[in-house]
Amino acid sequence: MTAFSTERLIGGLTVTLDLDVLIGAHPDRDGPPGTPEAVLGALAAHRITGAAVASLRAALFDMASGNDEVLALAAERPEVVPVGAVDLRDPIGAAAEIDRLAALSVRAVRLFPDEQHVEADFPSVRHVAKRAAGHGLVVLTGGDVRRFWRPFGGLGATVVFLDTHFYHLGDFLVAAADEPGFHTSTRLLNSPDALETAAAHLGPDRLVFGSRTPHTETVVPLLRLATGGLDPAGVAAVAGGTARRLLGLDPGAAS
Amino acid sequence: MIIDVHAHWGPWFFTMDVTRLSLRTMDRYGIDLAIVSATEAVIYDAPHGNRALAEVLETTDRLYGYVTVNPRRLADAERDLAAYLPTGRFVGAKIHTDYTGSPVSSPQMRDALALLASHGCPALVHTWGTSVLDLAALCEQTPGLKVIAGHMGADGYRHAIEAANGCDRVYLEPCWSQAPAGRFAEVAAAVAPRQLLFGTDATLIDPASAFGAVAAAGLSDEIAEQVAWRNAAELFGLPSPRSRNTDGVQGEPEPLPPRLP
Repeated sequence: MTAFSTERLIGGLTVTLDLDVLIGAHPDRDGPPGTPEAVLGALAAHRITGAAVASLRAALFDMASGNDEVLALAAERPEVVPVGAVDLRDPIGAAAEIDRLAALSVRAVRLFPDEQHVEADFPSVRHVAKRAAGHGLVVLTGGDVRRFWRPFGGLGATVVFLDTHFYHLGDFLVAAADEPGFHTSTRLLNSPDALETAAAHLGPDRLVFGSRTPHTETVVPLLRLATGGLDPAGVAAVAGGTARRLLGLDPGAAS
Repeated sequence: MIIDVHAHWGPWFFTMDVTRLSLRTMDRYGIDLAIVSATEAVIYDAPHGNRALAEVLETTDRLYGYVTVNPRRLADAERDLAAYLPTGRFVGAKIHTDYTGSPVSSPQMRDALALLASHGCPALVHTWGTSVLDLAALCEQTPGLKVIAGHMGADGYRHAIEAANGCDRVYLEPCWSQAPAGRFAEVAAAVAPRQLLFGTDATLIDPASAFGAVAAAGLSDEIAEQVAWRNAAELFGLPSPRSRNTDGVQGEPEPLPPRLP
């Protein structure tokens, strides 16, 4: 064991659903390849037992075939919850894909504005936000929360902001105070008190675990959650309880 | 034993309240010693922040200080270096290139680093992207200077590899709020272990980010020890773990064992 052993810090923490998992590869990066086997293996090695998985193929090239890839994976692997990816560069096609995914009982769609070079005030974003909200889908969105909160405002949408950086926590807190459906991933809330501050202002059930495996170090948000100041109920909510409730995965559980 | 070579004391302007969390944050990750700069000194007023930090350092032996230098105020820097380095509680200097509007390639940075070299004072310099290459070039041109590339260039970590391999007086520490997979492993595989240090950017960033990044690299026991404290102890002349007793009272420094290959 070295000074950088993580076992003693993480202890028995188990994440029952990670809302930020990708398969596929970024063609403009050296790696990783993002094969389903490698991704699910990495999650299992960190005691992450459930994964809301989206496809980079769908996000970067072709929505339907990429999303079908994830649906097929979910049919084979019970730990996988399929997340549809839509392309904001094609709002008409994205809306049609949302309709198709909803008909297939997919519970969540994911937006990739940074990767698709789409800004928050483009008409496409509001159009897609309305369509997803109309179907009651959970929206997982990247992008700067200081801008991307706006197209979801006033829709009663359930949204998880995947890229909320602790630098921008204050903006998330004031936006989310007026929008009970707004949640944030913990991935970049990695200042010494961001999780605790968010929980104090909004409640821990507005925080959901996201790792962005395999593109970022899975262990980092685990360490932050395990060593933080949330009580056990709060940790359990962040570590999958809230995400599973949002996606309706535990129908018998209290909402 | 862990020594954090990139830490801070004081408040930040973001939605956070961490001034009192320094030691508690260190304890969570088994960080024994941290070398800190005052946030006020980094962001706004170097002399005032340095003076406040000097008072804090009198209250604990777990924090050492960086004299923060604003390259645009070198007369202030000379006064502060003369005042604080002899105390033994300040062991290096910190320069933030952005807050002072002083890119590594600027004339005032050249003068500032020459000043620090003349004091034999290691310098922690904020680096991002390709600026780490500029830092290595400047270090190479400045005899005796030892620099730590803060954040090891962040998204420019591959440039940091080139920088460290181009100048053996350049040291790298990994802190960043982002944690791209394999970043530290790639650097550790390509840079001499003696040039690798551990830094967190606490209390701005929780140690989880740098600690997790280093942990994920799966270092050997020997290299992990070098990164965790041995290289930092040698660079800054800090006491080895065996000379510190458990009640927090610091003993006499003892010679470090021979450097590992």
